[in-house]
Amino acid sequence: MPPLSMWLYVASPGHRKVRLWLPLFLLWLLLLPFVVIALVVAVIVDSVLWIGGQRYHHYTLLLVRCLELISDTRGLVVSVNADAPGEDSSEVHVAIS
Amino acid sequence: MLASGKITAEEAERLLDALDTRAASGAESVPSAETIPAAQSAIKGDATPLLNALPKYLYVKVDSVDGDKVDVKVPLALVRSGLKLTSLIPPQAMDQINEQMTDKGISIDFSNLKPEDIDELVLALREMEVNVDAKNGDKVRVYCE
Repeated sequence: MPPLSMWLYVASPGHRKVRLWLPLFLLWLLLLPFVVIALVVAVIVDSVLWIGGQRYHHYTLLLVRCLELISDTRGLVVSVNADAPGEDSSEVHVAIS
Repeated sequence: MLASGKITAEEAERLLDALDTRAASGAESVPSAETIPAAQSAIKGDATPLLNALPKYLYVKVDSVDGDKVDVKVPLALVRSGLKLTSLIPPQAMDQINEQMTDKGISIDFSNLKPEDIDELVLALREMEVNVDAKNGDKVRVYCE
């Protein structure tokens, strides 16, 4: 299942803090028609290559694995807290769930 | 059961292997003739124990004496998917990649990486732990769980 949301928090001295919650599920809904078209094209290309006797005809699988890679980013967390002497700390937190 | 002819020697051996597995998982019930099929299914490829044993995340924690802190949690499924993706790289591109890596002294052929190799690699990562305590007080910890 692809990641459904992303939390982003950026705070640096002298700048406004940024707190974002991004509903990635909406992005996937928007991209779904393009993904379906890409899959159909990939299947057609693979079929043509396979009939033509080409050795490599795995573009559909390649596309599916790329989508799996995106799905597996769920649970990724990056948290950076940088303290500069004499200044407020800078923070960056990214969490994909 | 073997002596009474209820099971063959091969089945007895598999049952003993299953007993070892069940003992490791803390099961208290004693396998009987009725549970042999269950034991056999465990031997033949019940992936649940393996999946539970596989580490799920790679953690990188950096604690600097200056006060900087970095925490990274990477799902190992991402690493597995990335390795599976390498097996689909077109042969022409893979040849070039392998050539470049060999020139750098790394002789790994990603096209020969099988899914069981990837699981074995990820399972081995469970035992990996890197702890660095620098002279200036910086601490780095890398581990999988």
